[in-house]
Amino acid sequence: MTALSTWTILNILVGGIATLAIFSFLIKENSFYRFFEHLYIGIAAGFGIILPIKNFLWPKILEPMMGMDIVQFPDGTYSQEYNPLLLLYVAPILFGLLFYTIYSTRFSWMAKLVIGLLLGASGGMAFEGFFNYVIPQLEGSFKPLIVFDGASIDLMQSFNNALFVFTLLSVMYYFFFSFQLTPGKKISRVLVGVSASGRWLMMVCFGAYFGSTVMARMALLVERLQFLLTDWSAAIYAAAAQLGAHLGVA
Amino acid sequence: MKFSLDAIDRRFVYLLILIALVVPLALEVHLTPAPMKSAKKFFDIIEQVKPEKGKFVLLVFDFGPNSKAENFPQSEVVVEHLLRRRIPFAIYSQYLQAEPLLESIPAGVAARLSKEKPAESWEYGKDWVNLGFRVGGALFIQGLVRSERMAEVLKKDARGNDITSLPLFDGVTSIKSISVLAQFSSLTGTLETILQFFQSSEYRPPLLHGCTSITIPAAYVFMNSGQMSGLLEGVAGAASYSALLYGEYPGREPDRSTLMMTGLGVAHLVVIALVLLGNLAAWLSSRRKV
Repeated sequence: MTALSTWTILNILVGGIATLAIFSFLIKENSFYRFFEHLYIGIAAGFGIILPIKNFLWPKILEPMMGMDIVQFPDGTYSQEYNPLLLLYVAPILFGLLFYTIYSTRFSWMAKLVIGLLLGASGGMAFEGFFNYVIPQLEGSFKPLIVFDGASIDLMQSFNNALFVFTLLSVMYYFFFSFQLTPGKKISRVLVGVSASGRWLMMVCFGAYFGSTVMARMALLVERLQFLLTDWSAAIYAAAAQLGAHLGVA
Repeated sequence: MKFSLDAIDRRFVYLLILIALVVPLALEVHLTPAPMKSAKKFFDIIEQVKPEKGKFVLLVFDFGPNSKAENFPQSEVVVEHLLRRRIPFAIYSQYLQAEPLLESIPAGVAARLSKEKPAESWEYGKDWVNLGFRVGGALFIQGLVRSERMAEVLKKDARGNDITSLPLFDGVTSIKSISVLAQFSSLTGTLETILQFFQSSEYRPPLLHGCTSITIPAAYVFMNSGQMSGLLEGVAGAASYSALLYGEYPGREPDRSTLMMTGLGVAHLVVIALVLLGNLAAWLSSRRKV
């Protein structure tokens, strides 16, 4: 095994302690768990603020705007000329900052300008996105009920397609064309059956969702266990060895 | 104390699951995973890509610690496949918590491969590029797919290098330079953004997707409609892909996905047994009441 640096060992040790703290909730609610839960939320929130500044606002907007990405070479020349048009970035920045006027009773109308622009832009984009997203699904729903494999019929695929089309129609019927079964009003038994099938088929789908959710939760657990069994135990061993060497214990 | 099936302490169930998962992991049992059609489709599409100048595969890692357990092994096997085949790829993310993984995953896989094949080496900038976390979501994608010179939109990589200075981007022009697009995520929103906007009027790269187990039923909708060409379903998908890699490169070291899948398989059996037991207890209890 490659030698681990002290920093890596510390990182892994803290990771293991945090994992055990979160799992301690399975026994019962406790302050050890609560502390690490807050720590995780805090770190995630911190990431949310710092990364857009570090990766976008500073290197792509502020640095070039202030000419800080221009390097002066030893011969006195510069890596590039300053582009004064970059100062135009100030306009959208100031416009975006109007969002914060929402906290003032007097100036909150200014925030509506930004919100209006965002809503308009999002609406336009959603319109474009909707067609790209939904039309292929509509096309994909039109399936042949009899599928030919050369000269013969592909029975399995034909059954699959027929089941797909039946599911689609029965679920749609359940939602869009269901009528209240009122006494004295005659409703075709076939339609009632189709509607009930739609409900049952949705139940199958929810079952699949629930099963896959259990599977996902277990995958999260197995990854953490793997971490504890391999990385964390190795880090404990390495930490003990480093401590022993530091104290002069053989 | 009288033992009753319908009053088992939930902590006993947790303990059973823990044992079921830990034993295969501790004993390092690697069972061969079941072949999966959707993973095979994913694998075949990567196999069909030819290393060409001015073309690359774009990987989108939209996952963080919350779904690392499933998306990490998936992205690892795909990165390994690309590196082994010398297909250049770039990685970016729409999800900020993914940032550290964009650097560590390809670097880790490249180091593992270099250990396995000491005569060969894999270089940053030539074999892969980290484009980092990109803000803007759909706006960034629209800018990228509409551009005739992608480098002008991307400008710099995550390490601060000029995109034009990287050998991987030699000859790269528009969206047509992206031979395949593969996204790994637990977030259906980020997948939807890609499905909605990652296409120009003339070209849409084949989309491959690595999803978590929870989103499998949702992802199949896009497989059915043809919007997606291949799918890795949770850890099972990664393990199935890993088995295909073994078939192609028999000397490769075992990876974490098959070990995880073995543990999961045992735990699933325990869950099925517990569900049956629970139903039996409920049935017995209802009979007693009658």
